[in-house]
Amino acid sequence: METAIVLITSIAVLLIGFLTAISSRDLVRLLIALELMFGSVFLALIPLFSVPDFAAVAFAIAVITIFTSSGELLVLITSIIILDRKTKTVVTDTITIGGDKV
Amino acid sequence: MDTTTLALLVLSAASILSASGVLLSRDNLYAALFMSITLILIATTYTLFNIQSVFVLIIFIFVGAIGAVTVALAATLRYELVKIPVEKVWVIPMIIVFAVIAFTLYIYSPHRITIGYNPEILLPSFLSNYLLLAVFLISLSLVIMISAVMYVRRES
Repeated sequence: METAIVLITSIAVLLIGFLTAISSRDLVRLLIALELMFGSVFLALIPLFSVPDFAAVAFAIAVITIFTSSGELLVLITSIIILDRKTKTVVTDTITIGGDKV
Repeated sequence: MDTTTLALLVLSAASILSASGVLLSRDNLYAALFMSITLILIATTYTLFNIQSVFVLIIFIFVGAIGAVTVALAATLRYELVKIPVEKVWVIPMIIVFAVIAFTLYIYSPHRITIGYNPEILLPSFLSNYLLLAVFLISLSLVIMISAVMYVRRES
Protein backbone atom coordinates (compact mmCIF):
# COMPACT_ATOMS: atom_id res chain seq x y z
CA MET A 1 0.00 0.00 0.00
CA GLU A 2 2.90 2.39 0.73
CA THR A 3 4.25 1.88 -2.79
CA ALA A 4 0.83 2.73 -4.22
CA ILE A 5 0.55 5.89 -2.07
CA VAL A 6 4.01 7.12 -3.14
CA LEU A 7 3.43 6.42 -6.84
CA ILE A 8 -0.11 7.86 -6.88
CA THR A 9 1.17 11.05 -5.21
CA SER A 10 3.98 11.19 -7.75
CA ILE A 11 1.51 10.91 -10.66
CA ALA A 12 -0.80 13.52 -9.10
CA VAL A 13 2.05 16.02 -8.71
CA LEU A 14 3.18 15.25 -12.29
CA LEU A 15 -0.34 15.90 -13.65
CA ILE A 16 -0.55 19.18 -11.72
CA GLY A 17 2.85 20.10 -13.18
CA PHE A 18 1.57 19.32 -16.70
CA LEU A 19 -1.55 21.44 -16.15
CA THR A 20 0.57 24.31 -14.83
CA ALA A 21 2.89 24.03 -17.84
CA ILE A 22 0.09 24.10 -20.42
CA SER A 23 -1.58 27.00 -18.63
CA SER A 24 1.60 29.06 -18.29
CA ARG A 25 1.80 32.30 -20.20
CA ASP A 26 5.19 33.36 -18.87
CA LEU A 27 8.54 31.65 -18.49
CA VAL A 28 8.74 31.91 -14.69
CA ARG A 29 5.56 29.84 -14.30
CA LEU A 30 6.96 27.36 -16.83
CA LEU A 31 10.09 27.07 -14.67
CA ILE A 32 7.95 26.46 -11.60
CA ALA A 33 5.98 23.77 -13.49
CA LEU A 34 9.21 22.02 -14.52
CA GLU A 35 10.45 22.02 -10.92
CA LEU A 36 7.17 20.42 -9.85
CA MET A 37 7.63 17.71 -12.50
CA PHE A 38 11.17 16.99 -11.26
CA GLY A 39 9.73 16.81 -7.73
CA SER A 40 7.38 14.06 -8.86
CA VAL A 41 10.35 12.21 -10.38
CA PHE A 42 12.15 12.36 -7.01
CA LEU A 43 9.07 10.89 -5.36
CA ALA A 44 8.90 8.06 -7.91
CA LEU A 45 12.47 7.07 -7.02
CA ILE A 46 11.61 6.07 -3.43
CA PRO A 47 10.46 2.47 -4.23
CA LEU A 48 13.86 1.83 -5.85
CA PHE A 49 15.45 2.02 -2.39
CA SER A 50 13.35 -0.91 -1.14
CA VAL A 51 15.52 -3.47 -2.96
CA PRO A 52 18.50 -4.04 -0.60
CA ASP A 53 21.02 -4.95 -3.33
CA PHE A 54 19.86 -2.02 -5.45
CA ALA A 55 20.23 0.71 -2.78
CA ALA A 56 23.62 2.03 -3.99
CA VAL A 57 22.37 2.13 -7.61
CA ALA A 58 19.17 3.87 -6.48
CA PHE A 59 21.24 6.47 -4.62
CA ALA A 60 23.39 6.98 -7.74
CA ILE A 61 20.22 7.42 -9.85
CA ALA A 62 18.91 9.96 -7.31
CA VAL A 63 22.20 11.91 -7.38
CA ILE A 64 22.27 11.92 -11.21
CA THR A 65 18.63 13.05 -11.35
CA ILE A 66 19.15 15.86 -8.83
CA PHE A 67 22.31 17.19 -10.53
CA THR A 68 21.08 16.95 -14.14
CA SER A 69 17.69 18.50 -13.35
CA SER A 70 19.41 21.32 -11.46
CA GLY A 71 21.66 21.89 -14.49
CA GLU A 72 18.65 22.02 -16.83
CA LEU A 73 16.83 24.47 -14.57
CA LEU A 74 19.96 26.61 -14.27
CA VAL A 75 20.12 26.90 -18.07
CA LEU A 76 16.43 27.83 -18.16
CA ILE A 77 16.95 30.49 -15.47
CA THR A 78 19.82 31.95 -17.52
CA SER A 79 17.60 31.98 -20.63
CA ILE A 80 14.84 33.78 -18.70
CA ILE A 81 17.29 36.47 -17.49
CA ILE A 82 18.67 37.00 -21.02
CA LEU A 83 15.18 37.09 -22.56
CA ASP A 84 14.08 39.64 -19.97
CA ARG A 85 17.09 41.82 -20.76
CA LYS A 86 16.41 41.65 -24.51
CA THR A 87 12.63 41.93 -24.63
CA LYS A 88 11.86 43.50 -21.20
CA THR A 89 9.23 40.85 -20.62
CA VAL A 90 9.01 37.13 -19.90
CA VAL A 91 5.57 36.61 -21.43
CA THR A 92 5.76 33.80 -23.98
CA ASP A 93 3.35 35.50 -26.41
CA THR A 94 6.03 38.08 -27.23
CA ILE A 95 8.51 35.45 -28.47
CA THR A 96 8.31 35.65 -32.24
CA ILE A 97 11.69 34.18 -33.24
CA GLY A 98 13.26 30.75 -32.85
CA GLY A 99 11.71 27.32 -32.97
CA ASP A 100 10.89 25.26 -36.03
CA LYS A 101 8.69 26.42 -38.85
CA VAL A 102 6.00 23.88 -39.71
CA MET B 1 -2.76 1.12 9.38
CA ASP B 2 0.51 1.83 11.19
CA THR B 3 2.12 5.18 11.98
CA THR B 4 4.42 5.24 8.93
CA THR B 5 1.55 4.67 6.49
CA LEU B 6 -0.56 7.29 8.25
CA ALA B 7 2.31 9.82 8.15
CA LEU B 8 2.88 8.97 4.47
CA LEU B 9 -0.81 9.57 3.72
CA VAL B 10 -0.71 12.97 5.50
CA LEU B 11 2.51 13.97 3.69
CA SER B 12 1.10 12.86 0.33
CA ALA B 13 -2.14 14.79 0.86
CA ALA B 14 -0.18 17.90 1.89
CA SER B 15 2.10 17.54 -1.18
CA ILE B 16 -0.88 17.30 -3.56
CA LEU B 17 -2.62 20.26 -1.88
CA SER B 18 0.46 22.50 -2.05
CA ALA B 19 1.05 21.43 -5.69
CA SER B 20 -2.57 22.41 -6.40
CA GLY B 21 -1.70 25.78 -4.87
CA VAL B 22 0.87 26.25 -7.65
CA LEU B 23 -1.78 25.63 -10.29
CA LEU B 24 -4.48 27.76 -8.68
CA SER B 25 -2.46 30.80 -7.52
CA ARG B 26 -2.43 33.60 -10.07
CA ASP B 27 0.63 35.39 -8.72
CA ASN B 28 3.94 33.77 -9.68
CA LEU B 29 5.53 34.63 -6.33
CA TYR B 30 2.96 32.59 -4.42
CA ALA B 31 3.22 29.80 -7.02
CA ALA B 32 7.00 29.68 -6.40
CA LEU B 33 6.45 29.56 -2.64
CA PHE B 34 3.91 26.74 -3.00
CA MET B 35 6.39 24.91 -5.25
CA SER B 36 9.09 25.21 -2.56
CA ILE B 37 6.69 23.84 0.05
CA THR B 38 5.84 20.91 -2.26
CA LEU B 39 9.51 20.08 -2.77
CA ILE B 40 10.21 20.28 0.98
CA LEU B 41 7.30 17.88 1.62
CA ILE B 42 8.59 15.51 -1.08
CA ALA B 43 12.06 15.62 0.52
CA THR B 44 10.46 14.96 3.92
CA THR B 45 8.93 11.77 2.49
CA TYR B 46 12.51 10.51 2.07
CA THR B 47 13.21 11.04 5.78
CA LEU B 48 10.10 9.02 6.57
CA PHE B 49 11.89 6.06 4.99
CA ASN B 50 15.19 6.92 6.72
CA ILE B 51 16.95 8.12 3.53
CA GLN B 52 18.41 11.31 4.94
CA SER B 53 21.18 11.79 2.37
CA VAL B 54 18.72 12.28 -0.51
CA PHE B 55 16.68 14.62 1.75
CA VAL B 56 19.81 16.74 2.28
CA LEU B 57 20.60 16.74 -1.45
CA ILE B 58 17.07 17.82 -2.43
CA ILE B 59 16.87 20.49 0.28
CA PHE B 60 20.35 21.93 -0.36
CA ILE B 61 20.49 21.79 -4.15
CA PHE B 62 16.89 21.82 -5.33
CA VAL B 63 15.10 23.91 -2.71
CA GLY B 64 18.05 25.87 -1.31
CA ALA B 65 19.69 26.82 -4.59
CA ILE B 66 17.31 26.43 -7.54
CA GLY B 67 14.11 27.03 -5.50
CA ALA B 68 15.48 30.16 -3.86
CA VAL B 69 16.57 31.54 -7.26
CA THR B 70 13.10 30.76 -8.66
CA VAL B 71 11.41 32.59 -5.77
CA ALA B 72 13.75 35.56 -6.28
CA LEU B 73 13.07 35.50 -10.05
CA ALA B 74 9.30 35.31 -9.47
CA ALA B 75 9.51 38.23 -7.03
CA THR B 76 11.61 40.32 -9.43
CA LEU B 77 9.70 39.54 -12.62
CA ARG B 78 6.33 39.55 -10.93
CA TYR B 79 3.56 38.67 -13.33
CA GLU B 80 -0.02 38.16 -12.30
CA LEU B 81 -2.49 36.29 -14.45
CA VAL B 82 -5.88 37.89 -14.84
CA LYS B 83 -7.41 34.50 -15.57
CA ILE B 84 -5.76 31.09 -15.47
CA PRO B 85 -5.89 30.06 -19.15
CA VAL B 86 -6.59 26.35 -18.69
CA GLU B 87 -9.17 24.83 -20.95
CA LYS B 88 -11.49 23.09 -18.50
CA VAL B 89 -11.97 20.29 -21.04
CA TRP B 90 -8.36 19.22 -20.43
CA VAL B 91 -9.11 18.50 -16.78
CA ILE B 92 -11.63 15.73 -17.57
CA PRO B 93 -9.30 13.33 -19.49
CA MET B 94 -6.56 14.03 -16.94
CA ILE B 95 -8.83 13.04 -14.07
CA ILE B 96 -9.89 9.87 -15.93
CA VAL B 97 -6.27 8.90 -16.67
CA PHE B 98 -5.28 9.64 -13.07
CA ALA B 99 -8.18 7.56 -11.72
CA VAL B 100 -7.29 4.57 -13.94
CA ILE B 101 -3.59 4.74 -12.99
CA ALA B 102 -4.37 5.22 -9.28
CA PHE B 103 -6.78 2.25 -9.28
CA THR B 104 -4.26 0.02 -11.09
CA LEU B 105 -1.47 0.98 -8.71
CA TYR B 106 -3.68 0.45 -5.68
CA ILE B 107 -4.66 -3.04 -6.88
CA TYR B 108 -1.28 -4.25 -8.14
CA SER B 109 1.08 -2.53 -5.68
CA PRO B 110 0.04 -3.71 -2.22
CA HIS B 111 3.67 -3.95 -1.11
CA ARG B 112 5.22 -2.19 1.84
CA ILE B 113 8.37 -0.17 1.24
CA THR B 114 10.99 -1.73 3.46
CA ILE B 115 14.13 0.30 3.04
CA GLY B 116 17.39 -1.57 3.49
CA TYR B 117 19.23 1.71 3.62
CA ASN B 118 22.24 1.87 5.89
CA PRO B 119 24.42 4.98 5.39
CA GLU B 120 27.45 3.27 6.92
CA ILE B 121 27.35 0.65 4.16
CA LEU B 122 25.77 2.60 1.32
CA LEU B 123 27.95 5.73 1.24
CA PRO B 124 31.31 3.89 1.06
CA SER B 125 29.79 1.58 -1.56
CA PHE B 126 28.50 4.57 -3.53
CA LEU B 127 31.82 6.41 -3.31
CA SER B 128 33.86 3.36 -4.34
CA ASN B 129 31.60 2.60 -7.32
CA TYR B 130 30.48 6.06 -8.39
CA LEU B 131 33.23 8.47 -7.25
CA LEU B 132 34.14 9.35 -10.84
CA LEU B 133 30.46 9.97 -11.61
CA ALA B 134 30.07 12.27 -8.58
CA VAL B 135 33.20 14.25 -9.50
CA PHE B 136 31.99 14.48 -13.11
CA LEU B 137 28.54 15.73 -12.06
CA ILE B 138 29.95 18.36 -9.67
CA SER B 139 32.37 19.52 -12.40
CA LEU B 140 29.50 19.66 -14.90
CA SER B 141 27.43 21.79 -12.52
CA LEU B 142 30.36 24.16 -12.00
CA VAL B 143 30.94 24.45 -15.76
CA ILE B 144 27.23 25.18 -16.32
CA MET B 145 27.23 27.85 -13.58
CA ILE B 146 30.40 29.54 -14.89
CA SER B 147 29.08 29.39 -18.49
CA ALA B 148 25.74 30.89 -17.41
CA VAL B 149 27.42 33.76 -15.55
CA MET B 150 29.82 34.44 -18.47
CA TYR B 151 26.97 34.32 -21.01
CA VAL B 152 24.78 36.72 -19.01
CA ARG B 153 27.71 39.13 -18.49
CA ARG B 154 28.61 39.00 -22.21
CA GLU B 155 24.98 39.65 -23.24
CA SER B 156 24.78 42.66 -20.91
